[in-house]
Amino acid sequence: MGYSMQNTLLYVENLSVAYGEKTVIKDINFVEKDVIRKDNVTGQVVAVVGRSGRGKSTLFRALTGLIKPTTGKILIADTSTDAENDAKEVEEGDIGFVDQKYTLFRNKTVYQSLMFALRLKENMTKEQKHEKIMTYLSEWGLEKVKDQYPCELSGGQRQRTAIIEQIFCSGHYMVLDEPFSGLDVGNIEDVKNAFSLITSMHEFNTIIYSTHDIELAVELADSIYVIGYPTIDGKHAEYGTIVKHIDMKELNLAWKDFGMDHIEVVKQIKAVMMQS
Amino acid sequence: MKEIFKPFENIGRNSRLLIIASWVIAVLAFWFISSMGERHLFPSPAQVLRGFTELYNEGLVVHIGSSLWLCLVAIVIAVTISLILSYLSTIPVITPIANALSKLRYLPLTGITFYLAIIISDARTMQVWVLVVFMSTYLTTSLLSMVSAIAQEEFDHARSLQCNRWEVLWEVVVKGRIDHVIEVIRQNLAIVWMMLVTVESILVAAGGLGFLIKNSDKFMNHGRIIALQIVILVVGLSIDFILNYLRKTFFRYSKI
Repeated sequence: MGYSMQNTLLYVENLSVAYGEKTVIKDINFVEKDVIRKDNVTGQVVAVVGRSGRGKSTLFRALTGLIKPTTGKILIADTSTDAENDAKEVEEGDIGFVDQKYTLFRNKTVYQSLMFALRLKENMTKEQKHEKIMTYLSEWGLEKVKDQYPCELSGGQRQRTAIIEQIFCSGHYMVLDEPFSGLDVGNIEDVKNAFSLITSMHEFNTIIYSTHDIELAVELADSIYVIGYPTIDGKHAEYGTIVKHIDMKELNLAWKDFGMDHIEVVKQIKAVMMQS
Repeated sequence: MKEIFKPFENIGRNSRLLIIASWVIAVLAFWFISSMGERHLFPSPAQVLRGFTELYNEGLVVHIGSSLWLCLVAIVIAVTISLILSYLSTIPVITPIANALSKLRYLPLTGITFYLAIIISDARTMQVWVLVVFMSTYLTTSLLSMVSAIAQEEFDHARSLQCNRWEVLWEVVVKGRIDHVIEVIRQNLAIVWMMLVTVESILVAAGGLGFLIKNSDKFMNHGRIIALQIVILVVGLSIDFILNYLRKTFFRYSKI
């Protein structure tokens, strides 16, 4: 499937995060570029996999600006200027973040939460905001629960609300920490559809998610990073880093139905994970 | 029938009501039987009823009003102080002050009243401030635990929506936990209500239930004492019920 790479959207260099003496992640380097496909709006879907405790959540908190890196830098495309390849250092709120528990404001209804997420859009009138919210609620199947509080929503409904909030508030980037955990088959399909919706909305839209379900990583992502403990001089180091990168586009497996070739990649990833 | 003696057994509403009714009848029967005869520890129901009538004729309602007003004034001041300190405890420079106030709950009331007596001359004001000092320590302790129990995810969620730190405090802690504040007041109310009656009986100012109980105690009027205990219990439980009702009615999302 033909594609080309253009602007750099995410640039991570020598990233490390330590809490006191304990280094959680170190030497993280990667670049994600805008993928262009002819006659197709294609956002980027990046999966991060790895065994528990290898620093995926710490990496995500650093990527979203919620914690300051101990070393290194994280740059994202600055879309507020017209200049090509303009970059800025990531700050709180630049990258949307949906955590594992799909946290929402407990005291706001779905509608109120989404209105809050739009509060900084000063160029929009109240009516325009209302219209936008109602359009999304209808497209994402949340119309009937618009006046319900998070404690009255199902897991899937909470997750979709959390995702829309981030679409409204953040730019083109969204990080989701284990979006498939604890979901039933129907809800997993909903999340997959949500991914398609987001990536089809804008070329720059980039989803970064973690999962323990390697099949889902291989099926949905066009770029997969395996985080694990590196082996240095025959010994496992005590910090997480990227131990393997699989570019599904290069392998000609991205945007295709799950098949035998995908299963081979799954096997490879599992083998790397077991060793790290 | 066997089910009601089995641990962790779920029983129906009717069975539950039946159990409660049986216990109430048992307590009343014990009271009637144990207060028969010439020598008895508790006054008989007739004596208590007489106590009620006497108290009512002497202005029981006014005294209840006086106690409730004292309670309300003290709670408003104490909650304001505790809330400000608890909310600001999220700022590192204020944290030690909030924690110190919480620790002061181990100080005996007598020591505090000594210093308050030097500053305040009016008995009613003294009652209010003794209660405020006492309640603030407990309320601050509970409110600090409320703040520290908020999950990191909630703060991260607000920050990811481009809330600055003050907005995070406002949205997650202040607005997001109003129902918890009501619950904290409700849970601390029992101590406050008990303390209020004690304070009223030590510092006689504008009457109140504590003043009445002290007077009855002086004259060994057991019927009145038990009647007053019942009134204090019922008023306390009513406030507890009202606060719980308000929380559930105005905060639909509150599932504490």
